[in-house]
Amino acid sequence: MSRTAETIDTAELMYPGHVGCPGCGATIAMKLALRALGEKTMLVIPACCWAIIAGPHPQTSLKVPVLHTAFATAGAAASGLRAALDRQGDTETTVVAWAGDGGTFDIGFQALSGAVERNEDFLYVCYDNEAYMNTGNQRSSATPFGMRTTTTPGTNWKRSRKKNIVEALAAHRIPYAATASIAYPEDLMRKFEKAKAMKGGSRFLHVFATCPTGWRVPSEMCVSIARLAVQTNIFPLYEVEDGNRYTLNFKGEKPVSEYLKPQGRFKHLTQADMKEIQEMVDEDWELLMRKIGLDPCG
Amino acid sequence: MTESEKNLKSERIPPVISQSKISTEANQTGTWRFLRPGYDEKTAPCSAACPAGEDIGRIEMLAAKGDLDGAWETILGENPFPAVCGRVCFHPCEGVCNRGEFDSAIAIHGLERFIGDAGIRKKLSAPVPRHTKVSKRIAVAGAGPAGLSAAYFLARIGYGCDIFEAAPEPGGLLRWGIPQYRLPAAVLAAEIDRIESIGVKIHCNSPIHEGRLEGLQRDYDGLFVGCGEGRPIPLKIPGEELALDGLDFLRQMRQGKETCNGVRTAAVIGGGNTAIDVSRSLLRMGAKKVLLIYRRRREDMPAFAQEVELAIQEGVELVELRAPVRIERKDRDCRLILGPMRAEGTAQDGRARILPADGEEESLDVQSLYRAIGAEPAADWLRPSQKGDVERFSRSRIYYDQFPIIFGGDLTNPTKSVADAIGSGKEAAMLFDTLFAEGREAIHDRLQQCRVGQGKSLSMEMYLSGRRKTRNKEEVPFERINTEHFTKAPRQNTPLPGPAHVIGSFAETEKSFSEGAAQKEAERCFNCGICNDCDNCRLFCPEVSVNLSDPRTCEAAGLNRQIDYQYCKGCGICVVECPRDAMSLTEETTPL
Repeated sequence: MSRTAETIDTAELMYPGHVGCPGCGATIAMKLALRALGEKTMLVIPACCWAIIAGPHPQTSLKVPVLHTAFATAGAAASGLRAALDRQGDTETTVVAWAGDGGTFDIGFQALSGAVERNEDFLYVCYDNEAYMNTGNQRSSATPFGMRTTTTPGTNWKRSRKKNIVEALAAHRIPYAATASIAYPEDLMRKFEKAKAMKGGSRFLHVFATCPTGWRVPSEMCVSIARLAVQTNIFPLYEVEDGNRYTLNFKGEKPVSEYLKPQGRFKHLTQADMKEIQEMVDEDWELLMRKIGLDPCG
Repeated sequence: MTESEKNLKSERIPPVISQSKISTEANQTGTWRFLRPGYDEKTAPCSAACPAGEDIGRIEMLAAKGDLDGAWETILGENPFPAVCGRVCFHPCEGVCNRGEFDSAIAIHGLERFIGDAGIRKKLSAPVPRHTKVSKRIAVAGAGPAGLSAAYFLARIGYGCDIFEAAPEPGGLLRWGIPQYRLPAAVLAAEIDRIESIGVKIHCNSPIHEGRLEGLQRDYDGLFVGCGEGRPIPLKIPGEELALDGLDFLRQMRQGKETCNGVRTAAVIGGGNTAIDVSRSLLRMGAKKVLLIYRRRREDMPAFAQEVELAIQEGVELVELRAPVRIERKDRDCRLILGPMRAEGTAQDGRARILPADGEEESLDVQSLYRAIGAEPAADWLRPSQKGDVERFSRSRIYYDQFPIIFGGDLTNPTKSVADAIGSGKEAAMLFDTLFAEGREAIHDRLQQCRVGQGKSLSMEMYLSGRRKTRNKEEVPFERINTEHFTKAPRQNTPLPGPAHVIGSFAETEKSFSEGAAQKEAERCFNCGICNDCDNCRLFCPEVSVNLSDPRTCEAAGLNRQIDYQYCKGCGICVVECPRDAMSLTEETTPL
């Protein structure tokens, strides 16, 4: 371990006492992100778990300014906030839209797509807990194939694939789009620092954030589950610059069943289902490798 | 003028937006908790396996951080002989190293030597004796590893100690029984000097015999007997007198009196460490061929396996399952008659039963012949009896009959090794001190308190209530290491010279680590059960409830982090992500 207390900035930009669930992965994501972004940051948070974790009025759990916005508007509000800061001559502050998967993949997609098409100067972060967790676990287009939610219950578990949001954003040819995971803090913080430094255009980070409550895993397994997602290639860590330059950060080697089995949300899956998921993962991996220019088997 | 009036005046629209002005710190989220994470430093398996009870995980942690002085002081807390043990210890620690199940065990033995040598080179001084002097005085018979250790630990507790040694120089088996190619005299001298520097007095040429006991009883409050086993066990075969005593040979050699001129073939009878040392010495002194004759098999040898391996690599020829029947004079040579043996079943000691086998007797002509089949106490009074008011402990025995006499070292140790002798000396020091300070009935509990893990080893750090006294006796199994936080890395090794470099040379055979290699190797250590400030607990805490300790209190607590239970919701991520099992999750019992 090369990491020591001395090498880590000790000032956290988050207060304790927030009302996130025990073991909340999205909270770890914010804590790590703010370590990298620093105090010259303004957040735009639409409806999502973080709308409440950031504090019910009149409380705040963050030491940086937060603009709470409506569900569909993170991309638009962030564009406006950026314009207002520019008008004031403040080019130093980083504007960060911080939205869940519902506010990114579904409800906020139009505003996001519009903003990044204009190449607005902000960092958009989607912390992905793979369903509408704040309202009690309804499926989103980020919900993976095979997951049970309250709107895909029982035998009607979700049978469509998760939307590939990074590819959708990369297709806008924005300067930077990347995935990150709370289980790889050094990699995550490096990407936030990199995105912060790339001023002048749209940057997008897709952060995998375990939801122990909604995924029905023990809270202490939060980080281990996120790590398994990367190690089984179901959530690969990679970066895309200008929509066409791909970099792979980690190559997983474990079978996807190791990731699925410990989670209550996938408990119903049969061997055949898992095999089907493995095939999807392999197919996605092969596609990604082709884009990166690597041999998928190598 | 208020803010909104100012805005009105400048005709700007005031933001009709509610603002949060207070922090969430008012929410006592700690009340949600039903599981309580906490720092809970445990015992590393290596530490429990170390007969001297060294805090190995901590030693390697300090070495990895480049704090060699700290690492050295940590060893000295439990063992006055790091440079000696780093050369001659059979290192049972490495056999139980958790890293062995991941890639390969940490080179603890080599690191100990590196750290021990650094201590000598930098002339570091031994830990200062405890502030309060004790008025009692202890006599120690024998300046071998057991006696020297007993005196060292007693002196640290505050006792006055006199060691009486029969030989002209101190060191015992370390000086007379271990050849220089394994333990250079200068290294031994430096470590003995350091023991003397804390006030231990060594009286050489002053053997303790039964007749002196009365006088000692007058001048001292207790006696530690660690004279070792000085009398060789006879072969009990005809022609016995033609075979020389192996230990005596090693002693003569250290005094420069022994030569091997003109020896074509030499034979050594035995399978213990002395037999190996004699064989390897003979090779170095120019014997063309050295045969090691053992009545059992290689796997049954009491000698430490790696010593046997080195001997064979150097050219010693092992003759297994042959027992000496008689020895005859043949011109100027000795003729050794050997009978074939066979292994069968299992004897009481767990080894195979060895019985005479059918077949011809063989004869072997050699120029010199040595026997090294073990030794026994040199005098009857040194043989600890079962009679009288006696209490047995793991590595020593105490007799209360006249004045307290503790027998230790090889006289009582089930495993006869240098590290066990050191452990025995430490046990004796604790026994004396507890006996005098708290009385006989307190001894058992006091020793239990100071055990390192579940084994026999004892910790002086715990006895003296040092900062690591609170470590949990639970040993960390490999399954509790979070290997996700480690990457495989090859073990650093020290190159061994080939047999060609060994002949005629008593220079030290094994080389030490370079500084870079030592640090790299120490960094591989999992530091099982010990917080090494990796900061994972603080990094992953979703509640911002793991904080760096106030430097003013951190020394007392012994840890650099603390959990803020006002807010900790007990999710347990810190415990799972702790790479080394230095934390535990328990049921919450205390109301907030």
